[in-house]
Amino acid sequence: MKDETKGLCNYTLKELKKNGAEDVIISLETCTTSQIKFSNSRIVSMFQWDLKNAGIFASFSKRLVSTVLKEVSKKHIDETISKINKFINFCKENNDYNGIAKGPFRYRRIKKTHDEKIENLEDEGIDIVKQSIDIAKRKGIEKTAGLFETSSHKTFLLTSNDVEALDTGTEAQFSFRALKTKDSSGHFTSSARMLNNVDFESVCEEACEIANKSLNPGDGKQGKYDVLFHPMAFANLLDSFGNAASAFHVESGMSCLKDKIGKKVASSNVCIYDYGNLKNSPGTATFDAEGVPTRKTTMVKDGILKGYLHNTSTAKRFKTKTTANAGLIAPQPTTIAISEGKFDKEGLIGRIKKGIYVTNIWYTRFNNYTTGDFSTIPRDGIFLIENGKIKKPIKNIRISDNLLRMMQNISGTGNDSRIIQNWETEVPVLCPHVFVTGVNITKSI
Amino acid sequence: MNDIGNFAIKIAEQFGCSYAEARTESSEGNAFILKNGNPEVSGFEASEGIAVRLLKNKNLTFVSTNKLEKENIKWLIRKAVRRLDSSSRLSEKIELKNERVNKKNYKVRQKINVLDFSPKEKLDLLLEVEKSLDEIKKNIPARYFSIADSLTKKEIITSEGTMITSEIPRINFVYVLTMVNSQKSAQRYWQLGASSGMEILNKWKLEKKLKEESAALLRNLRQGRKTRPGAYDVVVAPEVAGIIAHESCGHPYEADRILGREAAQAGESFVKKDDIGNEMSSKNVSVVDYPAMEGSYGFYLYDDEGVLGKKKYLVKNGIMNEFLHNRETSAAMRMANNGSSRATSYEREAIVRMSNTFFVPGKTKEEELISEVKRGIYIKNFTEWNIDDKRLNQKYVGSEAYIIENGEITHPVINPTIEIDTIRLYASIDNVADNFELHAATCGKGEPMQGIPVTMGGPSIRLRRIKIT
Repeated sequence: MKDETKGLCNYTLKELKKNGAEDVIISLETCTTSQIKFSNSRIVSMFQWDLKNAGIFASFSKRLVSTVLKEVSKKHIDETISKINKFINFCKENNDYNGIAKGPFRYRRIKKTHDEKIENLEDEGIDIVKQSIDIAKRKGIEKTAGLFETSSHKTFLLTSNDVEALDTGTEAQFSFRALKTKDSSGHFTSSARMLNNVDFESVCEEACEIANKSLNPGDGKQGKYDVLFHPMAFANLLDSFGNAASAFHVESGMSCLKDKIGKKVASSNVCIYDYGNLKNSPGTATFDAEGVPTRKTTMVKDGILKGYLHNTSTAKRFKTKTTANAGLIAPQPTTIAISEGKFDKEGLIGRIKKGIYVTNIWYTRFNNYTTGDFSTIPRDGIFLIENGKIKKPIKNIRISDNLLRMMQNISGTGNDSRIIQNWETEVPVLCPHVFVTGVNITKSI
Repeated sequence: MNDIGNFAIKIAEQFGCSYAEARTESSEGNAFILKNGNPEVSGFEASEGIAVRLLKNKNLTFVSTNKLEKENIKWLIRKAVRRLDSSSRLSEKIELKNERVNKKNYKVRQKINVLDFSPKEKLDLLLEVEKSLDEIKKNIPARYFSIADSLTKKEIITSEGTMITSEIPRINFVYVLTMVNSQKSAQRYWQLGASSGMEILNKWKLEKKLKEESAALLRNLRQGRKTRPGAYDVVVAPEVAGIIAHESCGHPYEADRILGREAAQAGESFVKKDDIGNEMSSKNVSVVDYPAMEGSYGFYLYDDEGVLGKKKYLVKNGIMNEFLHNRETSAAMRMANNGSSRATSYEREAIVRMSNTFFVPGKTKEEELISEVKRGIYIKNFTEWNIDDKRLNQKYVGSEAYIIENGEITHPVINPTIEIDTIRLYASIDNVADNFELHAATCGKGEPMQGIPVTMGGPSIRLRRIKIT
């Protein structure tokens, strides 16, 4: 961070205080990203982003305003402050607002968040994509699609409550879909902070294996099934669960966890965490949007909901402490993790008499967020399990069930957790295979 | 901005690009949230940036930045072109359809400029909506309203000489209502959107709309019966017809899906290139995508490649007629381009997107559609929905819905669910009404995800003998 830029952030903060602001947060982020997109086993486009973003949050007697600086220059800062002064006069008090975190804080260095290899990556990304496509060809799959994305970011945070902190990091994400025929495909992803932790080869191999095994699927039948979820699939549901734990969503009717603290919301075998300082996760940061050092928070212990995810303001409303999940409007999950069990995938399949193995889902939509009634569509390889063995591939089914009921019916988790981040799974999820009994399966007719 | 765009084109040409396109955008906007009667943080924002798309040796690359110093843009383009050279061995050879050079300047006229409407007036609007629900507030324990507006100035310059400048305001109102009665609950989450000045608020009549919808949902909770599963004639109102048109006609007719370009995430399509001319539905059925509808949320005149956005009959009189194309897909399929290339902002590549997608109205009154149903269901609006990634296996769950008995709407019914294959769905449509509504939506596609403003709609349509659960 240049001294001049830091100086301008300090200037902004002081000016806002001078103009009557009580709480001020200045957040300056820069991010460079490269993406290689491929489909039909050819690169279809290469992308480069180079972006900066300077955010301001300020409170004036419980009237709250946020804005973004188009450029960090004294002239523009003065114009923006003048606009804030006018804007805030029209705003009304938010009586629910309870301030921001009081610093200063001590930050621990989180391992495996910054990789110079990613920052200095040149043509190696193209080689990685080529090698991946070649692996698929060797496995008999001519058509593949996906992306390889790397990014490097820097966040400087300054608050009126004695926080001044800098966080830097890198990320790499690899998504690979193998399309054997129009009805048989496999998809897998890997996301990490360090390039060495993105296992390109195993991602390709697993996607190809699912595609190859799902050849000529028959139509699935509706009914109740025991379902084994691949990490790709269950991560999508845990993303919904993590969002439901945000105190903001609880208040705004977008959560099935309202009034559930101290109650059973999942199987007693299960613990669920928000893991803000998990090494190597794309969701990890040194501090949250108020500057509070990130941490591991137990959301569910032995099936019982222990609490929601909070920023300072929502925490005071719920008479508890922040969980370091600010979001200034809504607390947000960082990385969601579910406790592992002792079985591997084969061990879990072996426990299923009549069931389905779902390797991926998409289009998860809720009928009613407060009850948790929802449906989602399995895609890519789907397999019928009989007497502990995969019998045959199937297609055209839908999971139409209830999130809380499914969480309570978790009968086992695997010992093979992987970090999943995907199109619909926006929050990274550390997830193994998960076995859920009595899942309601429907289908289109 | 013109200066930066021209500079980017010049640099691209210096680096040997055969085609370059610069899209510069500046945008201003405001956003307000009211949660359970309390104003959350309000915001205003201004942003400015450039997207540059380059073609060299038939390989495509895209750069985006909001650091608009010329040296930075030059550095980014140089880096992108160098990587393009390295990737050439593995790259798809991309051609762009020849297009006429367009020069046009257009803007949406606003009677009340979105940026002149004061923050107080916007917040007061949300408070008035909240107040309008006072009488039944005890049955609506969670209420979330937001209003956001923006004014985007965009300039598209290509190395071929096209130059399009536009100025489009957009307004968006989102609401989530959680209704409870005894131990039962229901939710309504929906949005209204327009490319318009603030005068659109007079048309929206938000207080009346939300009051009526809340009362209907509450009545449904109190009196609604469970649906008895079986085959029914179903009349769906424009909101439901719209989501059908969008999900199982608009999306599968996107040519980039058909070509497999979005296969990794957004998926492919059950439609094949050679399907043009095949029957999809009855002769009564036509589905159109038309961006130039005045005031519509999906409005534009020229797409993000500077091509005129045409009126597209995706389905014409029951026959599969035309796909949604950009310059790349129309060249690949050797079909006419129809100007469907859109990006959500300078941070995203322009890809094939819908705009305003709808069933074309017929001549029959909605009442007549209903009067000809002996045993059926009328679905006014919906809640949960989804569809598979080839756009065949879809589900729509009714929110406000009623039983039809002997041609008359009689009794509210709870969550009638259509779960049907696209082929059967379109084959079941026997008539369309003469009413017409467009509903705003935010459509997701692309990597990274792009949620783009669209509308979807049409008249009420009747589906004969479909399974309801």
